[in-house]
Amino acid sequence: MTAYPVLTVTTFLPLVGAVLVLLAGSGGRAKGIALATAAATLAVSTPLYRHFDKSSGNLQFVESHPWIPSWNISYGMGIDGISLVFIFLSALLTILCVSVSWTAVRTRTREFYASLLVAETAMIGLFAASNLFLFFIFWELIVIPLFLLIGIWGGERRVYATVKFLIFTLAGSVLMLVGMIALYNICGTLDFRALVAARDSIRPSHQFWLFLAFLAAFAVKVPMFPVHTWLPDAHTEAPTAGSVILAGILLKMGAYGFLRISIPVFPDALQIFLTPLLTVSAIAIVYGAYVTLLQKDIKRLIAYSSVSHMGFVTLGIFTLDPTGVEGAILQMINHGIVTSALFLCVGMIYERTHTREIKDYGGVAKAAPVYSSLLALFCLAALGFPGLNSFVGEFLIVSSAFRIAPWLGAMAVWGVALGTTYVVWLFYRVVMGKLNPGLEKLRLELNTREIATLAPLAILAVTLGLNPDLVLSYLRGPVAYLLTGVMP
Amino acid sequence: MNRVVLADLGYVVPELILLGMALVLILFARRIRESQAAAIGTVAAAVAAALAAMSGSSAEAQSAFAGMIVVDGYSRFFTVLIAAALALATLLSTQDSDHEAVPRGEYHSLLLLAAVGMMIAVSTPDLLTLYLGLELMTVCSYILVGITRKRQASIEGAIKYFLVASFASAILLYGISLTYGITGATDFTAIASALSEHSLGSNPLLVVAIVLVVCGLAFKVAAVPFHAWAPDAYQGASAPVAAFLAAASKAAGLAALGRVVLAAFGSQAMVLSVILWGLAALSLLAGSIVSMAQTDMKRLLAYSSIAHAGYALLGLLAGTPEGISATMTYAFLYVFMTLGAFGVVVALGERGETLDGYQGLAAQRPAIAGVFLVFLLSLSGFPPTAGFMAKFTVILSAVRTGHVLLAVLAVVCSVISAFVYMRVAVAMFMKEPQQPAPARFPMAVSAALAIAVVVTLMGGVLPGLLLPWAVSP
Repeated sequence: MTAYPVLTVTTFLPLVGAVLVLLAGSGGRAKGIALATAAATLAVSTPLYRHFDKSSGNLQFVESHPWIPSWNISYGMGIDGISLVFIFLSALLTILCVSVSWTAVRTRTREFYASLLVAETAMIGLFAASNLFLFFIFWELIVIPLFLLIGIWGGERRVYATVKFLIFTLAGSVLMLVGMIALYNICGTLDFRALVAARDSIRPSHQFWLFLAFLAAFAVKVPMFPVHTWLPDAHTEAPTAGSVILAGILLKMGAYGFLRISIPVFPDALQIFLTPLLTVSAIAIVYGAYVTLLQKDIKRLIAYSSVSHMGFVTLGIFTLDPTGVEGAILQMINHGIVTSALFLCVGMIYERTHTREIKDYGGVAKAAPVYSSLLALFCLAALGFPGLNSFVGEFLIVSSAFRIAPWLGAMAVWGVALGTTYVVWLFYRVVMGKLNPGLEKLRLELNTREIATLAPLAILAVTLGLNPDLVLSYLRGPVAYLLTGVMP
Repeated sequence: MNRVVLADLGYVVPELILLGMALVLILFARRIRESQAAAIGTVAAAVAAALAAMSGSSAEAQSAFAGMIVVDGYSRFFTVLIAAALALATLLSTQDSDHEAVPRGEYHSLLLLAAVGMMIAVSTPDLLTLYLGLELMTVCSYILVGITRKRQASIEGAIKYFLVASFASAILLYGISLTYGITGATDFTAIASALSEHSLGSNPLLVVAIVLVVCGLAFKVAAVPFHAWAPDAYQGASAPVAAFLAAASKAAGLAALGRVVLAAFGSQAMVLSVILWGLAALSLLAGSIVSMAQTDMKRLLAYSSIAHAGYALLGLLAGTPEGISATMTYAFLYVFMTLGAFGVVVALGERGETLDGYQGLAAQRPAIAGVFLVFLLSLSGFPPTAGFMAKFTVILSAVRTGHVLLAVLAVVCSVISAFVYMRVAVAMFMKEPQQPAPARFPMAVSAALAIAVVVTLMGGVLPGLLLPWAVSP
């Protein structure tokens, strides 16, 4: 079908680029290599979109090689529609991350871009992996570059934020390690599809503990209430590129894990945990939204809004209704697009003003009309404006939630209303009104590079809003497969 | 009789090579002014010993010297490992040796003799020869710890090490004598058959004997509560010696323990699993928690090595051939990451001794900071480094035998350890430099670090290359 193993090349090309970046003589050349690598990665991934067969329910672009024969573990890659859309998002966002850091990162440039590219390898590899062992390796691998990105190039409290991030994610993932080993011991395989086939051999009591072990890892990554407290610190202190990777991809890994493991492999335990999980999702939506309203720091505000938005995602997933799950995955993509765009917007203006306090802004519309228009578009998308991307996802989730339990639907609608409030209020305080005197002497308008960075996301937000089937059509087959025998 | 012994010498070629080089160095000790000559000789002997061990590749176990020495896959595996550790430690010794005024000839011959002791300990199926091998190793280690005479800490460390370890040797010997009293044998096979034939399982003396032997060996691997010597000895010793002790003597101790557990006391699974469970749990907890409070780098690594002893014991706890294989894999990968981590301490000289010395290292020397990050990640058990595969295999072995609780304890401790290691990473990458950039270090140290990095990464990416060699006796 293709001349090269697409998934392996797409996954490891950034790693090669990272090595080249480290060997580059100067920071300037490092930037160039990083951009070229990120673009090349997207380019080599194109066969995935061109040759993907939406009608097939099987894994595609499968690669399998024996890796550790004594443990019966193979190097397995293969994707379905869910993986595909995330791989595209990862490859796209990395390019934008390189672009937005072009002038913002001035110290230790080579290490910065190398970390970014290693993170890209981990992101793509995680979604491309067709077995749990490989999935786990990429799951852990991404922590290292993000630890460095936040800790070296972050804001004032970067060390605190990065250590907190590391400890939280590690505490979750080591429990998943034990769970993975126990699962391997019971089923004798770690291949995702083989695990689903072997799920009946796992005793319900084992399922209970295994579900808990995996829940620990996934809930921290999502993050679900009440283990979300690392997120505001990490997002706020991270450099713009770090925030984009965190919000755009890292948060999706946990939800992706639920879809790959928790739901299809532990259906019995899932029934026990379903009500608590739906409840904390609803709490995350409303609580997250209220806390968002209180924030005085723009990045922190967007970070807390992610807690609320990811509450929608987990709510959609745990409705176990095809519509809800498809809506949740679509919403993950939407959140990846919109929140990344908002972080990019904040990063661009921060580079000029060096403040994240909302009160230092105001009246930006007069000084920077293009910027304000783009920000307006992304704000509207974030609050779920009809015709823009988030609307469809939220609609699907909310309608499924009403079908499961009216009170869940009511909580979700409440969250949507609060979401509109905090986004509009943020926009009002930053963009509208009289120009803040502190900003008068600054050139706030975006340059061409920055507009080009935001443009792809703006186009995606509009396109997916008008034609959500662009993503949804990829999801139907795999979602139906994952929910087989699981639906209530 | 004499002819038999002569033919048997063929089975101990690696030991003879090292012994020969040690004797040559002692003979010419006074003539050796250049430290390089002794180091080159030692590395050459270590490489030759490793090659000799690998070349004798018949699958069958062969015994020699009337059953005092056995050559099998297990002994060959550890002989190669010890030779490799010896070579790397020797390469590290080229740094910083001249102004310490350490007599080079004696220093290297002691390293060689200690390695001979380890090799005997890993390739004997007899409790008394095991004792002799371990004693040869330990006596050489006392002197090596105290050989940097001008440093007060060095002498103090050596004396503490001597007091605690001679106590441990007495315990081991007492255990051996009780075992002999009960079973009438010191040979592992004879002990095992005596234990299975006569129903000695309920004999309280037997329990005491097993406890004493295992505890005596636990001293050598620095498992809690028999770990007290390690932090002082490592801190007092010069960094290359600490590296050699932490890596090779722990591997030898684990190898000896593994053989005793499986071959001699294999039938007493109940007693063994209780002792080893306790040792592993305590080592994991104490090693990781106490390491949080350390500000001296060698002490920090000492406590980390105590925690790692806990991980390695998870494999022995299973008491199955697969479990022993897991511990062998762990020991192998652990040796290289530990030597690498100590190697960075060696390379940085004075500055490498304290945690504060690492502040801002990445800005001044990005390459060595990157290398250290690899070792720290491996020690924390992050993929794709060897530490992850090592952790995976021992935890798999623990889960297989139903010790899930201990497995959970182990990974929780690994989070604590990761916090400790990442504190070093934070200092290196996220703090401003406080001290001038470290001086350049010899090529030999770079070579040792390069080898350790390659093995640490290869072990994480392609563990399949190593696993087939890790076969239990």
